Amino acid sequence: MQKLALPESVLMEVSKPERYIGHEINSVVKDKSIVDIRFAMCFPDVYEIGMSHLGIAILYDMFNSFEDTWCERVYSPWPDLDKKMRELGIPLFTLESQEPVKNLDFLGITIQYEMVYTNILQVLDLSGIPFCAKDRTWDDPIVIGGGPCTYNPEPLADFFDIFYIGEGETEYRELLDIYKECRRNNVSREEFLHKAATLPGLYVPMMLDVEYKEDGTIKDFVPKYPDVPKTVKKELVRNLDDTYYPEKPVIPFIKVTQDRVVLEIQRGCIRGCRFCQAGQIYRPVRERSVEYLLDKAHKLLKNTGHEEITLSSLSSSDYSRLDELLNELIKECNEKKVNIALPSLRIDQFSLDVMNKIQDIKKSSLTFAPEAGSQRMRDIINKGLTEEDIVNGSRLAFLGGWTKVKLYFMLGLPFETDEDIKGIADLSNLVAATFYDTVPKEKRVNGHVQIVTSTSFFVPKPFTPFQWAKMDSTQDFIDKAYKTKQFIMGELNQKHIKYNWHEADVSLLEGVFARGDRKLCKVLLTAYKKGCFFDAWSEFYDNEKWLEAFKEENVSIDFYTTRERADDEVFPWDYIDCGVNKSHLLREWHKAQAGEVTKNCKVQCAGCGSARFDCGICVNR
Amino acid sequence: MKIRVKFSKVGVLKYIGHLDLMRYFQKAFRRTDIKVKYSGGFSPHMIMSFAQALGVGVESLGEYFDVEIEDGQDVSLMKDKLNAEMAEGIEVLNVTVLPEKALNAMASVAASDYEISFTDGVNPVTESMIQRFKEAKEVLYTKKTKSGETTFNIKEFVFDVQCTKEGVFMKVDSSSAGNLKPRFLIESLLKQEDICVDDHPFHILRKELYLRTPNGDLEPLDHA
Repeated sequence: MQKLALPESVLMEVSKPERYIGHEINSVVKDKSIVDIRFAMCFPDVYEIGMSHLGIAILYDMFNSFEDTWCERVYSPWPDLDKKMRELGIPLFTLESQEPVKNLDFLGITIQYEMVYTNILQVLDLSGIPFCAKDRTWDDPIVIGGGPCTYNPEPLADFFDIFYIGEGETEYRELLDIYKECRRNNVSREEFLHKAATLPGLYVPMMLDVEYKEDGTIKDFVPKYPDVPKTVKKELVRNLDDTYYPEKPVIPFIKVTQDRVVLEIQRGCIRGCRFCQAGQIYRPVRERSVEYLLDKAHKLLKNTGHEEITLSSLSSSDYSRLDELLNELIKECNEKKVNIALPSLRIDQFSLDVMNKIQDIKKSSLTFAPEAGSQRMRDIINKGLTEEDIVNGSRLAFLGGWTKVKLYFMLGLPFETDEDIKGIADLSNLVAATFYDTVPKEKRVNGHVQIVTSTSFFVPKPFTPFQWAKMDSTQDFIDKAYKTKQFIMGELNQKHIKYNWHEADVSLLEGVFARGDRKLCKVLLTAYKKGCFFDAWSEFYDNEKWLEAFKEENVSIDFYTTRERADDEVFPWDYIDCGVNKSHLLREWHKAQAGEVTKNCKVQCAGCGSARFDCGICVNR
Repeated sequence: MKIRVKFSKVGVLKYIGHLDLMRYFQKAFRRTDIKVKYSGGFSPHMIMSFAQALGVGVESLGEYFDVEIEDGQDVSLMKDKLNAEMAEGIEVLNVTVLPEKALNAMASVAASDYEISFTDGVNPVTESMIQRFKEAKEVLYTKKTKSGETTFNIKEFVFDVQCTKEGVFMKVDSSSAGNLKPRFLIESLLKQEDICVDDHPFHILRKELYLRTPNGDLEPLDHA
């Protein structure tokens, strides 16, 4: 019998009821009376975003491959439904069984960006689970967090029972077994969490006390029990050809952000850009084989009926057998009338040739991400992209018929001067000029070129060489965006350059939580209680409420953002070992100051520390 | 070759919107080995046409769409092939080959059968209301439109109406020129005794879609 948690009167009134009804093709329904463990997997944002996330799809597939486990999905109810649920007292439910989340054994939450932190509180609140881990009993699910933000989970430390640090494929089975044993033997929740804290990759905030210095920085981490390790090592999959990968992912009824087959070709990145967290925490680079990928692509297209496939990785151009993979994929896809989407590809002759071979190419726009305007600044951030690369790439693209180019930059990078900001305008102008130099008047499709230059504000992240960097204030950001605009207006081709910039307020908040500590838990809770949630959505973001929350909790924003950090400061995330040594990051920070570049992993090993995982590029260079 | 697919859409899947339903069937076809024809051009797509959009929240036992497929395939197997790819609540009931010169599904629709059942289990529509409606020479209904109001004789669009245990059965005009919403008829019936339709929420089940044969009869859409 089909069952829904929400009554018809509610479903007919909220936007997109399909978000809440489950029953999608390939969703997994098990007999709850014969499974031992029920796991709710949550992406704390709206369904269309959450359903587009590959990590959740992998873990959903993995958990459901365990005979004793049933994994279901949960997403954040959109504010219209949130309101109704509170009015009518309807608890948050999982999509598959449509039962309250609270009835399940685990609530796993993936934490992909800082601006979902309040949505996590919404999920707990609507589920009827106490906000703070210390207030929970066996009547509540074990709340476990994963994803990139758990590389500094401290601002969320009070709200989670466990954080899983690293790739989810490796350690869950053992955790589930210990859970089963603990429940069978009727041990206390605390004792279970104590046991969990001894497993590799698992961090239990309650089992680690933090001591502070007088200036508010951290003195030391003190485990509550002697068998709880002081350092949590990240988990990783050593061989990506021998692990879980869904062949029958759930197919949503509504169009989600990623409405296509996603083929993850590799993890990690060889580049080592100094602002990029993903480039550090997913080291070392591990590739999947072409054979494995083609087999998965074939099955996934067959099992989903999707009309598009995309390659997923941090830098697809660095995949060593890209040529071979794409040629085979194009063959299969052209036959099946499937389009191939190619993000994160370096623009060169090869990629343009590939794009010409793919059928559904509307030569709309090409994207470059120089990240910084001047070569000096690109050396500081270790972005191995030169002006020449960009000009050559654009020239080829213009000759191939493209007329629109998007350029992405960051403002507020460490050691930035006005010259670097002017570089953004100069480079945009140079690309525009390249169009007029390259394409003769009679061949210009739309008559002119269109450059879209966008800047975001740099946010220093943990486990990057810039984790020591001081972040700009909101006023600095606004001034710099204004300067950029002025510089662009002064360029010869300014008429054909459109300039966009990000909101400064949200970037600041992101900066606070990215390098935050446990003292921020109370700010989060206060902001949530004031009504902050869906902060990633500008229509719901309320900066005033956030500022009030910081004020009421007497927490200084500047301490986390604009403060100078000494080389020997103990960071809130230092008990986590992501594989890359702090000494390597510090070396990189000093090299950045000197404007020295570091070669990528393929050219020369920089000795970051990841070689101890004994896999990927560290063994097959 | 063009085929006409008849399907039902009931249960929780009644919340799937029309555009999403089209995408759903396109993906379903791609999971089978049925060779569908694609349009030419930059982004090829399936040539698919639905008879009539079904509103969100409405269930149906008689929905139709046409789709063009490559010649030379065994149509008798297609119902089972498609049903192997359906979600619980949508079932393919019939797949027929369309005659060469048949009108497309959308242009063919002339009438629909609806079964209305009131949610609280009490039927406010009485036999006498139906009787009075049938006996009246004309029943005027005023519809609010974007540009104001229009009044018309609703009886011209009602081919049959009967009182049932749970509510009302009706056969009404569904042609593109005169599509009648079931709600209008319920509203008209109740208004005779000054009962407000908003006080009596109801479910709608579409039971069949009809085409008009050359001699004027109504036949289900898969009898083309």
